[in-house]
Amino acid sequence: MFNLFERRLAPLDSPSVVIASTLGSIVLALAIGAFLFIPFGTNPLLAYFSLFESSLGSLRGFGMTLNRAAPLILVALGTCVAWRAGFGFLGFEGCMTIGAAAAAWFALVGVSEDGQGILLPALLFWPAMLAVAFAAGGIWAGSVGVLRTRYGGNEVLISLMMNYVAIFLVQYLVSGPMRASGSLPQTDRFPTESWLATIIPGTRAHAGILIAVGAAFLVWLLISRMRVGFELVVTGLSPLAARYSGIDVGRRYLLAAVGAGGLGALAGLVEVLGTQHRLMDGLSGGLGFIGIVVALLAKLNPLLIVPVALLYAALSVGADALQRSTGVPSSIIFILQSLIVLFVMASDFIRYWRPRLPRFGAAIVQEER
Amino acid sequence: MLPAVELRGIVKRFANVLANDHASLSVLPGEVHALLGENGAGKSTLMQVLYGSYHADGGEILLDGSPVHFANQRAAIHAGIGMIHQDFMLVRPFTVAENVVLGLDGELQLYEEKRGILDLAGASRRIEELSTHHGLQVDAGARIEHLPVGVQQRVEILKLLYRNARILILDEPTAVLTPQETAKLLETLRSLAAEGRSIIIVTHKLHEIIEVADRVTIMRDGKTVATVAKEDTTEAELARLMVGRDVLLRVRKSPLKRGATLLTTQGLKVNDDRGEEAVSGIDLSVNAGEIVGIAGVDGNGQSQLVEALAGLRPVMGGQISMEGTDITHGTPACRKACGIAYVPADRRGVGSVGTLSIEDNSVLCNLGAFTGKFGVFRDRARSRSHARDLVARFGVKAPDIRFPAGKLSGGNLQKMILGREIMQQPKLLIVEQPTRGLDVGAIEGVWAELLKVRDSGQGILLVSAELEEIRNLADRILVIFEGRFMGELRPEDADDETIGLMMAGRSGKTRTMTHV
Repeated sequence: MFNLFERRLAPLDSPSVVIASTLGSIVLALAIGAFLFIPFGTNPLLAYFSLFESSLGSLRGFGMTLNRAAPLILVALGTCVAWRAGFGFLGFEGCMTIGAAAAAWFALVGVSEDGQGILLPALLFWPAMLAVAFAAGGIWAGSVGVLRTRYGGNEVLISLMMNYVAIFLVQYLVSGPMRASGSLPQTDRFPTESWLATIIPGTRAHAGILIAVGAAFLVWLLISRMRVGFELVVTGLSPLAARYSGIDVGRRYLLAAVGAGGLGALAGLVEVLGTQHRLMDGLSGGLGFIGIVVALLAKLNPLLIVPVALLYAALSVGADALQRSTGVPSSIIFILQSLIVLFVMASDFIRYWRPRLPRFGAAIVQEER
Repeated sequence: MLPAVELRGIVKRFANVLANDHASLSVLPGEVHALLGENGAGKSTLMQVLYGSYHADGGEILLDGSPVHFANQRAAIHAGIGMIHQDFMLVRPFTVAENVVLGLDGELQLYEEKRGILDLAGASRRIEELSTHHGLQVDAGARIEHLPVGVQQRVEILKLLYRNARILILDEPTAVLTPQETAKLLETLRSLAAEGRSIIIVTHKLHEIIEVADRVTIMRDGKTVATVAKEDTTEAELARLMVGRDVLLRVRKSPLKRGATLLTTQGLKVNDDRGEEAVSGIDLSVNAGEIVGIAGVDGNGQSQLVEALAGLRPVMGGQISMEGTDITHGTPACRKACGIAYVPADRRGVGSVGTLSIEDNSVLCNLGAFTGKFGVFRDRARSRSHARDLVARFGVKAPDIRFPAGKLSGGNLQKMILGREIMQQPKLLIVEQPTRGLDVGAIEGVWAELLKVRDSGQGILLVSAELEEIRNLADRILVIFEGRFMGELRPEDADDETIGLMMAGRSGKTRTMTHV
C-alpha cells in the first residue's frame, strides 16, 4: 500500500505550489464541511456566502474580524519568537491573563483620584501601558525560562501548568483586591481614556490591530534582520552548533521566553482595553491556544501570521453570525477550522510525494535509459 | 568458476542523485573482494541493495548463477548474506550470546526441541565453538558495553557465522581499530575466505586493500569503473581510478619554525557525559608555527580534551592558559576572543546548521564582525561577500551561497567549516578528525590548507584517529590512551608498531623531545 505514493525526486517548494496547495486544502475542507449543513436543511453555498458576508462583507463585520484577529496575531507572534528559538512555550493563556491584569491595574491606577482624567499625559500613558503589560508577561514567562536554563526544567509542562496559576490568580484578584462593588467578580469599568481608540468610525474596530501589525513588523525585523534574532534561530535549529559558535544558549532561551510572554501579555491588553473594558474571570477564552495553531499554519513566519489570523478571525466571526441568523450551531465552523488546519498541515505531503501512476513510472525508466 | 554473488547493471535512484548507475560486481567463492570508492561513490548503496535494504530500480542480483530478489534484509540473511555496518548494530546492555541470537528465527536455532524457548546456554556453547574454530576469542557471557571496539567487531562477525553466512559484507571495518586490531581482523578475513566464503570489504583505505584483497572493484559517481586483481595494480593506480585524476598522498612540509608558546594545559581533568573521568591529568603545550598531533583510538578522551579546550565542556581540574592568560573556565566566546578557533569532528551536528544557507553558516562563529554600526542589525551585504570569498578561496562546490549547508557533501562542508575558521585568522587552530569520511581528493585539499596555516606561523592542535594523517602533518605526536598521554614521538619514529602499541596502552620506547 506504500506503493501508492513515491517520493518526489525533489520537493516542490516554489511559492505558487505552496499557495496552490494551501488554497486547495481550504477548498477541500470547505467542500467536506458542506455535508455538515445538510441535516439542517441549509444550502452550504449560501451558508458559506453569509459566513464571509458577515465577517468581511460589511464594514461592521470587518471591524469585528479585526478585533478578533489582533490578540490572535500577538499570541502567534509570541509562539513564533519562542518556538523559532527552540523554546517549547505553551503558556499563552497565562500570559494573556497576566497581561490583562497588569493592564487593568495600570488603567485603574493611572487615573487621578477623582476619576476624571489620566494621571499621565496621553503621550506617555500608552507607551507606559504597553511597557507595563509587556513586562508583566515577560517576567511571568521569563520565570519559566529561568527554570529551564538554570535547573533544566521542562518548559512545555511548566508553562502549561502555569496557565492555571495565572487564571486562578486573576480569579482571586477580581473577587478580592480588585473587585468592584457589586455582585459580580469583576473590576470597575476603566476610564474611557484608557480604552483603545476606535480606528474605523461606525465600527467597533479598535487600535489593537495596529499594535498587532506593528508587533508583526518588529518580530519580522528581529528574526530576519537582527543579530540577536539570528542567534535565536540558530539556537532553535541546533543548540549544539549555537554553543559552539559562541552564542550563550541559556540567555537566548531566556530572551525568547521574555519576548513570547510579553507578546502574549499584549494580547491580553488588547482584549481587556479594546473589548471588555474591565477585568473579569475567563477572559482569554482559549485564544492562547488558537494563536499557537495560527502560528503553525503560518509556518512560524511573522508576516504570514497576519493574513492567517485574519482568515481565522473571519471564520469565527462568521460562525457567530451564522448561528444567529440560521440557527446552525457554530460548532460546525469549529469543525471546519479544524479541517482546514488538518488539510493545510497534510498538504505538505503532496509536495514531497506524488501519486504513483503507471505513466509516471514509465517516465522514470525512460529517463534512465 | 561460477561467482558466488553477482550484481548486474544495478540502478538505484534517490531524490536527486543517481546513486548506482548500472553498477556491476562479481565475487568468487573464497575471495576477498574490496569495493573501493570515494564517499558518495555509491558503495554503500550498492551493498544495501545486495543486503535487501534497498530495492534497485533496475538490474539483477544472482546468487550462484540464479537470479534472486530480496524483499528485505531477512530474506538476504536467509540466503546466506551477512553485513557488518560501520556503526555496529549491537544492543549494548545485552550479552554477546543475547546479541548473537537476536533476530534469529526458530528454524535457524540449533536445538529444535526447544523451539520457542530461548536457549542461551546452547547458543553460548555454539558461540564458543565458533570462536575457537575461527580464532575469534570472545566471552559469550560478557556484556557488549564492557567490550573494546575490536572485540565488538568480532561479535558482529560471529553473528554472521552463527547464521552461517556465505557472503560477508563489511562496511569500513577498520575505521575504529588500532593497527594491531586491524592486522588481526584482516587475518581472520583471510581465513574465512580460505573456507570458501566470499568477503566484500567496503573501504576507501588503499593500503588495507593491498594487504588483504584478491581483487578490487572501483566505484566512481555510482558506476563501477574497473575490477582489477591486486597483483596487477598499485596504490597509486587505485587512487587514480578512484578519484579520476592523479593524487599526491605524501605531503611536503617546509622546515619547522617554532614560535612562542600559545596554549598550555596543566594536569587537565575532564569528565565525559556520564560523569566519569575521561581526561586524567593532561599536560600539553602548542607553540606557534607547529602542528601537534594527538593520535589515539576513538573514545580515549581526545574528544573531551578538545571540547574542554574549546570551552564546550567544564574543566574538573587543572588549568588551561593561552599566551599566559588563564582561560580554564572561559566561555566558548572567550576562547574565540583569545584567538582559538575550533573545527569539530561532528561537522553536521556541531560545526554547522544544516538548514541554514552557506552564507549564514559562513558567519556563524564571528557574528560580531558582520553587523552594522551598533551591532544590532546584520550586515547582509558584508556577509554575502564574505561567503563568496570563502567559497572561492577554499573551493567549496555549491550552486550558490544560498544553498543549505546541510546539502553539501562531507568534503565540501568540511572545506566550508575549515575555511570559515581559518579566515578568522586565529592564533591557534584546533582541528578534530579533519578528514574523517572524506575521500582522497578532499583529504589532499584539507591537508594543504592545514600546512598553509602552520607555515603562516599559526599553531595547530590536530586530533586524528588516522595514523597516516598524523604522521604526514604533525611535527610532534602525542599518543593518548584512556585519558593520558602515553608518550611523545617524532613523526619519523612513529612506525606502525611503536605507535600501535602506545595506542593500545603500552608505553613503547618513548622518546621525549626537548623544546627549543
